[in-house]
Amino acid sequence: MNTWVYLHFPHLLLDYQQALQSPEQNQAPYALFESHAARRTLVQVNAAALQAGVKVGMADVLASTLAPSLRVHRYSLSQEQRVLTQLAQVLYQDIAQIVLYPPQGLLCEVRSLVRLHGGYQAVMTRLQSRVEQWPLRYCLSSGYSPLAAKLLAEAGTPVVTDDGDSVQQAIAALPIQHSGLAGSHIKKLCHVGFITVGDLLKRPPAEVGVRFGRAVMTYMAELSGTFKPPQAFYHPPDKFDEKVELSSEVSSWVQLLFPLKRLLQQAESFLQSHQWSTRALVIRAHHRQGPSTQVSIQFAHAVWQHHDLLQLSQLHLERQQLRQPVLALSVRLQRPEPRQAKHAQLLAGATTGQDQLSALVSRLQARLGERSVQSIQYTEDWRPERQGGVQPWQFGQQPQPLKQQRPCWLLPQVQPINRQQWQLQWGPERIVSGWWDAKPIKRDYYIAVDQAQRQGWIFYSQQGWYLHGWFT
Amino acid sequence: MAFPAQVEALVKQGLVWQGQQAPLHKSPSSVLTTGWPELDQRLGGGWLQGCVHELQLQLPFIGELALLFPLLSQPNITSLWVNPPAVPYAPGLSYQNIALSQQVVVQEPDDTLALWAAEQALQSKAVDLVLFWHATGLSAAAVRRLQQAAEAAQKTVFIITATQPEDDARAYAMRLRLTKSATAQLQVAVLKRRYGWSLPPFPCAIESRLPKRRRAL
Repeated sequence: MNTWVYLHFPHLLLDYQQALQSPEQNQAPYALFESHAARRTLVQVNAAALQAGVKVGMADVLASTLAPSLRVHRYSLSQEQRVLTQLAQVLYQDIAQIVLYPPQGLLCEVRSLVRLHGGYQAVMTRLQSRVEQWPLRYCLSSGYSPLAAKLLAEAGTPVVTDDGDSVQQAIAALPIQHSGLAGSHIKKLCHVGFITVGDLLKRPPAEVGVRFGRAVMTYMAELSGTFKPPQAFYHPPDKFDEKVELSSEVSSWVQLLFPLKRLLQQAESFLQSHQWSTRALVIRAHHRQGPSTQVSIQFAHAVWQHHDLLQLSQLHLERQQLRQPVLALSVRLQRPEPRQAKHAQLLAGATTGQDQLSALVSRLQARLGERSVQSIQYTEDWRPERQGGVQPWQFGQQPQPLKQQRPCWLLPQVQPINRQQWQLQWGPERIVSGWWDAKPIKRDYYIAVDQAQRQGWIFYSQQGWYLHGWFT
Repeated sequence: MAFPAQVEALVKQGLVWQGQQAPLHKSPSSVLTTGWPELDQRLGGGWLQGCVHELQLQLPFIGELALLFPLLSQPNITSLWVNPPAVPYAPGLSYQNIALSQQVVVQEPDDTLALWAAEQALQSKAVDLVLFWHATGLSAAAVRRLQQAAEAAQKTVFIITATQPEDDARAYAMRLRLTKSATAQLQVAVLKRRYGWSLPPFPCAIESRLPKRRRAL
């Protein structure tokens, strides 16, 4: 009975940075280093560098001799931890109980999912396919205890099975150097002649405890699963504000599409795990100096799928200019809202029609700007210029206007006219209103025809005669 | 008259010009009634679905919108208005039974973007009708593009523009010219149509939908 699965990502930060780039860029050798005093050691390398003979643990001088085009970058523990949290959020779509083992490990409890997916293998396939959405190198191993799974994954000898015995055999064959014990303990055990973990496990725990101390005894209990240390399970955050650091400066939005796509995929999994959708997001591009460029994007309809998000964001970004090269990119979701269940059957046609219209409006707004897409509005006010007009698009039921003979066009500005050229047909209709605010009006409206026999809506006020609308 | 089967199929689609006064074959599913009997009769049933129509105006506000009132006021017709020449006025439209929530207005001074918006609307299932105002008339390439998009989606498009020179060929399926006669009636001339010859101006009684006149002229 293997309850636990451990995922180990030996090159997590590097692989993640590569995932944000286009595949062509990843052909060049690339590595991350850590500094110890004056010595710089490589800790993570990509596939191209491995091929050139570069290895983890090499000094960077030696590595750049082997691969002259090698690019190196400083390793950052805090960045890698952030990546691990993002990864946990992705996995949370399939697995409820995840424990973070920073900086490179995730522990998952799978026993409770076996019935849901119909078998242990099915759970594994699902988990693997989820992880493989990301081009990360990983090692996945099962284990009857958290420690057993962790040791196998970290040693690079994975066992993926439901069978406890084969895990036990693999653990027993593990060299004592991979046991995860403290260095001093390993040294002592070696001196006594314990070569593998199995040698240690064969001894009665009480005797081992007397000889090597309490820590080794606890270790044995933890490995066998009789002692269960408490685990801090991961809970997804209820805000989405993620940032990715780019490995090189980028000077156009087109090059930013790749990292943006990744971020929006994360946004989708965030929204999916909460069953939310969103109507607004903010994309920020961080520069070396000065304030970041901020692009806020509104959608006319609630969206959550990353390709919708990407498509609309892309249209928005086409209108934007980047003034400086970009070092980091972040996405923040605003105003998430619960997804609304669709009314079934009876009103299905109407709802999908509205959805499609909202989707179209979102697309138009994204490219043309929000103010360019308008709806025709009616307001209850007697002043003609307030009674009707256009406003940036909003969907909703409007009050039903009174049935009055009114023109179908209103001029944006009233035009002075020569009364002699107009023939009055109907009127006057006196409109006196707005005495309570700054724009009172007192006008006599007439329907009249001009010299070309077009029907217009004209009025007389103290300033003279004006044309205000057309009936045709 | 009987044609061979292949020709018959083309005739049914309205792709064969027969030089007759009245259209012989029309499939009622592909036309939208204009709401004006005199116009329906001459256009072979009404506006064509999946086609771009051109309305040439002698003067702006001559009666182009009144001509389209019956179409716009049909329930379940959602329209996109691109660059209308003035503000579409809610009380007046509502008086003509046009549903305000089904009208989307786009104001975009850039021609390429305005055409892009029209094309997007044609590709979306939500919009049935596109009204496109253009001061000087569209280029042949733009018309062809719109015509293709309209045909693919089976939507109706109206380009409303000023009077165009007659020798300028465009891919419109139908071109109408609106003028005012001396008797103040709206005159519609069919410059180009499917199925037949062009037609001289004839009156169209749009006054029935407009405010009554005090006296006949």
